[in-house]
Amino acid sequence: MTEPKLTARNVDVYYGEKKAIDNVSIAIDNGIVTAFIGPSGCGKSTFLRSLNRMNDTIAGARVTGEILLDGEDIYGPDMDPVALRARVGMVFQKPNPFPKSIYENIAYGPRIHGLAQGKAQMDEIVESSLVKAGLWDEVKDRLSDPGTALSGGQQQRLCIARAIAVSPEVILMDEPCSALDPIATARIEELIDELKNTYAIVIVTHSMQQAARVSQRTAFFHLGHLVEYGETSQLFTTPREDRTKDYITGRYG
Amino acid sequence: MSNPHWQSAAAQKRIAKRNAAERRFKAIGLGAIVLSLAFLALLLVIMLKNGLGGLDWSFLTGSDSTDADIAGVWGATKGSLLTMFVTLVLAFPLGVLAAIYLEEFAPRNRWIDLVEVSINNLAAVPSIIFGLLGLAVFVNTAHLPRSSPVVGGLTLALMTMPVIVISGRNAIKAVPPSIREAAYGIGASKVQTTFHHVLPLALPGILTGTIIGMARALGETAPLLMIGMRAFVATPPGGITDPSSVLPMQIFLWSDEIDKGFVQNTSAAIIVLLLFLLAMNGLAIYLRNKFEVRW
Repeated sequence: MTEPKLTARNVDVYYGEKKAIDNVSIAIDNGIVTAFIGPSGCGKSTFLRSLNRMNDTIAGARVTGEILLDGEDIYGPDMDPVALRARVGMVFQKPNPFPKSIYENIAYGPRIHGLAQGKAQMDEIVESSLVKAGLWDEVKDRLSDPGTALSGGQQQRLCIARAIAVSPEVILMDEPCSALDPIATARIEELIDELKNTYAIVIVTHSMQQAARVSQRTAFFHLGHLVEYGETSQLFTTPREDRTKDYITGRYG
Repeated sequence: MSNPHWQSAAAQKRIAKRNAAERRFKAIGLGAIVLSLAFLALLLVIMLKNGLGGLDWSFLTGSDSTDADIAGVWGATKGSLLTMFVTLVLAFPLGVLAAIYLEEFAPRNRWIDLVEVSINNLAAVPSIIFGLLGLAVFVNTAHLPRSSPVVGGLTLALMTMPVIVISGRNAIKAVPPSIREAAYGIGASKVQTTFHHVLPLALPGILTGTIIGMARALGETAPLLMIGMRAFVATPPGGITDPSSVLPMQIFLWSDEIDKGFVQNTSAAIIVLLLFLLAMNGLAIYLRNKFEVRW
């Protein structure tokens, strides 16, 4: 058994006085998709955003406990949150391409991190990122078009390509399909399945079917607690906890 | 299938009353526009009738004189341009930086609340007060040359900066938070996020606010009275430290003259000033349309 990619130990997250996450410990492995499910307001997104310190940008948000990336404390004094976010990329609920060209959307990250020497190398990064995100064939002839002119599903794949372009180790996805139609959702789910071989992927989703389809492990959150965490197949068929069972059978949600 | 309710006399009456109210409102609204535009048209007609005859090349290139026939508007125009230049160079960067800091970087605490209230109040302070401040600080304390565009520009910059801060903050606030998240999400720092993404998107709004603030400063007379820009200046200023007048001040001075010839000069100078303001507002609209990003 190799060391987990991300390890959280006794993590609490506060928004001001309010405790949004209570004592969560979890280990997330490389090479698989981990899904966070649970009813609205259960804290799954909040916890996801503490994994790349996105919560730092919210006034009043505070994280206690320990989160390790390859054994390194991401809230430790030696960890720069800006560098961390390049290693732990994020895809958001609503596709949010920059209002710039498709090319610029991808090139921006590598440029600020100095990942490309010269135009040829940048072209290469842009192409390979779009290929990996399954968008290259659709946009290769119009890289200078604005990213915002693409369809919703294409925009979300552009955002995934943008995250890939800075060579992250982990990709966090916060309900990446909730604004998309079923066909675009299917494309993204296929993509997630391919990407898991290269990146550790954590996905927050509202849809239990989606969690069952794309993930190998599932964590069920409720009222800020991690209720149950295990193999997806096991969690959906023989949940250990009554609360999990009630949720996945649709008794509340 | 018809519902008898709508056929009843009471219902018909209610509908008729509602339609009458619609018509009444349209008429009142139209009246309000026509009334205010009529006054503007009247002003324009009077100005053009009185001033158009005096608008010739020698008027546009000459400077103030005791002789109404020789007196021209170039000296005051150049003074206005130099003053505006000083104002813009100071107020724009200061205002934009202050807006960015307050909106993106400032901690949320009582001190920042106090700063916000102060800036909002500053934008509402009567301009003559800024004139007194300019006189006390720039002329009497810093000993900058009286009646000069540099002092005028400094004074007007004090007045214009809060306007730029307020419009700048609104423009920055209007940039969707998702853009900031996108930049943070790929490891951009706060400064990179602000200057690469937020500021370019806020720029059209900031520029519009800036130009409107500048247009107000261009038409300002009272604060410049206080710092001595009402002196009789017969030669155009060579630089920002030379004694100078400005367009609205020239209009004020000429309107005080007894000589009949100056009536025409006053109107002609007003036409020049209005053209300036029109050009600035046109520029504001042009910039807004050019840089506006749609998504």
